[in-house]
Amino acid sequence: MKYPCLVPVAAVVAGVAMFALAAGPVLGQSAPPKSKASPAAKTWTQPKTPWGDPDLQGTWTSDDCIGTPMNRPANFGDRLYYTEQELADRQDRLKTQLQTDLVETVASGQRVGTGPPAHWAERARRPCRQTSLVIDPPNGKTPDLTAEAKTRRIPEGAGNNNPKADSWEDFSYYIRCISRGVPGSIFPVIYGNGQQIVQAPGFVTIMQEMVHEARVIPLDGRPHASPNIRSYMGDPRGRWEGNTLVVETTNFLGNRNGLVGNGGGTPFSDAMKFTERFTRLGPDEIAYKITIDDPKTYASPFTVGFPLTQEPGYQNFEYACHEGNYAMFDSLSGARAQEKRAAEAAAKKK
Amino acid sequence: MRKALAVVVPAFVLLLASTPARAHHAFAAEFDADKPIKFKGTVTKMEWINPHAWIHIDVKGEDGKVTPWMIEAAAPNSLLRRGWTKESLPKGTEILVEGYQAKDGANRGNGSIITFTDGKKLFVGSSAGDPGAAPGTTAK
Repeated sequence: MKYPCLVPVAAVVAGVAMFALAAGPVLGQSAPPKSKASPAAKTWTQPKTPWGDPDLQGTWTSDDCIGTPMNRPANFGDRLYYTEQELADRQDRLKTQLQTDLVETVASGQRVGTGPPAHWAERARRPCRQTSLVIDPPNGKTPDLTAEAKTRRIPEGAGNNNPKADSWEDFSYYIRCISRGVPGSIFPVIYGNGQQIVQAPGFVTIMQEMVHEARVIPLDGRPHASPNIRSYMGDPRGRWEGNTLVVETTNFLGNRNGLVGNGGGTPFSDAMKFTERFTRLGPDEIAYKITIDDPKTYASPFTVGFPLTQEPGYQNFEYACHEGNYAMFDSLSGARAQEKRAAEAAAKKK
Repeated sequence: MRKALAVVVPAFVLLLASTPARAHHAFAAEFDADKPIKFKGTVTKMEWINPHAWIHIDVKGEDGKVTPWMIEAAAPNSLLRRGWTKESLPKGTEILVEGYQAKDGANRGNGSIITFTDGKKLFVGSSAGDPGAAPGTTAK
């Protein structure tokens, strides 16, 4: 039940090509470049909630690192940050892209394709300063997969234009409008990167626009739930280390979402433990880091990080994903139509 | 009106390599590269639904017969961030659509290029460049 080969790797190429821009000030590295999102950072003091916790509240987005590759391209070696010249070049490209968005007429020679049009994408506001989303190990690359993980089935994701489409169960949990998992719900993708943080005494809640997750994180030191209780988004526990919110999440179902965009790629196991750190660097920037420790899936723990910023006018909107998920229907019915045509063609040959 | 005229045979590799990846679904799984569409239609409604909005149009054939079509648009939240509202595409508006038909032969298509009849694009604007796009908020 294969589709004709329509460039299965195009998504990967496209992600890099279209958004070779991106990013913003980085977080938590030894010498992060100065933040453009938080120009007042020098005089800024971490605000506190009325009950005394560091105040992280607001609606944040990971837009600035849209298109930044997970794994660092080899030519950058151990270098996490772009040079000032490289950043200036990326700023120019970003500016050109934003100007192109505002052109009122269709460019001559614009190609018509089956891919998503450029106007679907949301945009970074400033170039991402990082060369990769992986910030540790120093080479910016995810560790090797374990032998067992390499055998795990990877659900058909949005990056595959040639999917196995025998059943809805062949598709990723994102395409099925179920969940993108913890990393997938905050890692930057082409749209829907909003993260609304709301705090109350003893709790932090993170509302994530796509696919409308709400992570309710207790801060009172209670133990994790029994290992028998497992879920897609896991069981988070938070604490403050200075002004940094540290969230440890365990109790995952396993074999659901992975590291690649929108929770795709090799699924994490039920042994997964995430340790996230949210450090507010200024009025409009949080340094976000997540350490991924899944010994059944990766040879060693590693850390991904990028900035979350607040932007004028930016807010979360509802993402009731399943209400119009025609794509699932079309993909399955398209596969059946294709099989029928192939069978008819084969019968004619006989 | 033309109803499924082959217009351009696209160079898929180049095309896909230049478009954003990882929208909510695999496009080539849904739309048929062998079924290009190009026609004019009259908007009957726009569905602001997730994960993607759909524009409903009536397409009038040369024999006068009217056929309803659905054309896929961006995620409603992305449209909102580009400054779109429910009033942006009134019923009765004539638009030109170019793209590909659903693989199962249904009258659904991707809107690779959608313009008004004067050639202006429907979707102009940038999510990053219009701080006032989101309702109920004020720019800093």
